[in-house]
Amino acid sequence: MSNEERKKRRRRNRTVYLILIISVLASVVGYLLFNSYLSKPKLFQYILGLRLPTLVCMVIAAVAIGAATLIFQSIVNNQIVTPALLGMNSIYTFLHTAVVFVVGTGSPLYLNPNLSFCVDLITMGIVATLVYWYLFKKTGHNILYIMLIGTVLSSFFGSIQSSMIRIMEPDEYDTLLTTLVADFNNVNGEIITIAIVCLLLIGIFLIPDLRQLDVIAMGRNQAINLGVDYDHAIRRLLFGVVLCIAVATATIGPVSFLGLIVANLSRQIMKTYKHTHLIFGASLLGMIALVGGQMISQHIFHFTVPVSTFVTIGGGIYFLYLLLYKKGANS
Amino acid sequence: MNVQDLIKNYGSKTVVDEVSFQVPKGKVLSLIGPNGAGKSTVMGMISRLVARDAGIIHFEDKDLNKWKSKELAKKLAILTQHNNVQLKLTVRELVSFGRFPYSGSHLTKEDKEIVDKAIAYMELESIEDRFIDELSGGQRQRAYIAMVIAQDTDYILFDEPTNNLDIYHASNLMRMVRRLCDELGKTVILVLHEINYAAFYSDYVCAFADGKIAKFGTVEEVINKECLHDIYKVDFEIINVKGKPLSVYY
Repeated sequence: MSNEERKKRRRRNRTVYLILIISVLASVVGYLLFNSYLSKPKLFQYILGLRLPTLVCMVIAAVAIGAATLIFQSIVNNQIVTPALLGMNSIYTFLHTAVVFVVGTGSPLYLNPNLSFCVDLITMGIVATLVYWYLFKKTGHNILYIMLIGTVLSSFFGSIQSSMIRIMEPDEYDTLLTTLVADFNNVNGEIITIAIVCLLLIGIFLIPDLRQLDVIAMGRNQAINLGVDYDHAIRRLLFGVVLCIAVATATIGPVSFLGLIVANLSRQIMKTYKHTHLIFGASLLGMIALVGGQMISQHIFHFTVPVSTFVTIGGGIYFLYLLLYKKGANS
Repeated sequence: MNVQDLIKNYGSKTVVDEVSFQVPKGKVLSLIGPNGAGKSTVMGMISRLVARDAGIIHFEDKDLNKWKSKELAKKLAILTQHNNVQLKLTVRELVSFGRFPYSGSHLTKEDKEIVDKAIAYMELESIEDRFIDELSGGQRQRAYIAMVIAQDTDYILFDEPTNNLDIYHASNLMRMVRRLCDELGKTVILVLHEINYAAFYSDYVCAFADGKIAKFGTVEEVINKECLHDIYKVDFEIINVKGKPLSVYY
């Protein structure tokens, strides 16, 4: 009986994976080929050249956001928070603005997109990890405090950023704005290669910690009991989360609710505790949401409604649903 | 395990004040005392969940802090309250986590046998594929104990294990603690609120009051009228039941 059940569960998981992968492929193909003038090769090539970078950016962002949210939720032991709620995006925009503010738009640190991305990543990695790690330690992982302080931090960094913008020269501000508000129709295509490399490096760096994450998700006491070097592991994981958020924000801009939706949906449909599987599921779901959403936005709404609107509306409703109906599961 | 001059302050308040005692090996030791006496904090410190401000905890051949977390997890297990897991985790998967310090998440054949044994020992076979969040409190408690058994440590620490359990499950749990000690040769340390459970199921009792040890000794030495009155400031009647001191208070 128990073997039967285990087999059934395994079969079910395989089906879920299959459906997810097929949906991803379908939305990718649909996005690339819909209205693409297949009969006119020149035009098709041109359109492909426009859509491919966007597609790759969305895929990168989906993986980064999915991984970051899932890891973060398991670190703080709560499934209704996202790094975005705690202001990680605003720290990123703040740091990006600060770099421009200090070195100016004429500096290679800003002009070279790859270099600029690296500078952002390094500053973000150090500042945000320190801020949040200190926050966790100081509050004893009390989620209510973390939420509260996170919200305050979010507007704190937002205010500093807007003050810097106000005293900036208008031209500088103009140039800054194009990189600051990346969106789906204006992705930051220049950094694709380095973003992929970064994501891979983060992945390799985090693999040993991901195994520990399965245990860390059971709470601090249980993790320590099972021999996890808790503080050390949390710092590394947090560092990974922060970098993922930086990568996602740099490529497609802030998408606040996406992580929340995909992480929770992944938990709901994957029915497993293993974070490698959960992250994989969340990444696929993120791709479906972003690529599919972009297709709908382009071809049905003709760019009048951006994807982020769908994501925010859908995410808002889903968030309410989680708060109201999943109380038991979220304690 | 040897504890010397343990101190813990919260702000300016000293909650544990120069506590020293020796844990008898292969026995059941209960820590009792009124609220705020420091027993749970002491438990936290000897299980490394709470950082200490001063003092030495000598475990086997070196101080607790000098142990690698992973190695210590093979020697010492702690089961705390508030195990609200939000993961989709089956009983078997939870028990398998007990092998995490040894093999990580890839279990060897030997690990699987140990997990099987732990599940059988706690009589969880019929529910081994159920998800933890679908179990009753008593079943969940048993699943966690099975995990600790699979962890196969010499020392097992329980922090107020009978809280939130009804009389049936609480007394079953205490009998299980006794079996862990008698059959498997574990050293068990418990924090308990119910004096009678401490009296009936442990070998030694350590009573705390105001952050200090009020009395450490065998059950008979600690569970008596004078001693309990000193610790709890309440009058007790002691009745002898099955050779054990049953305390009555009102």
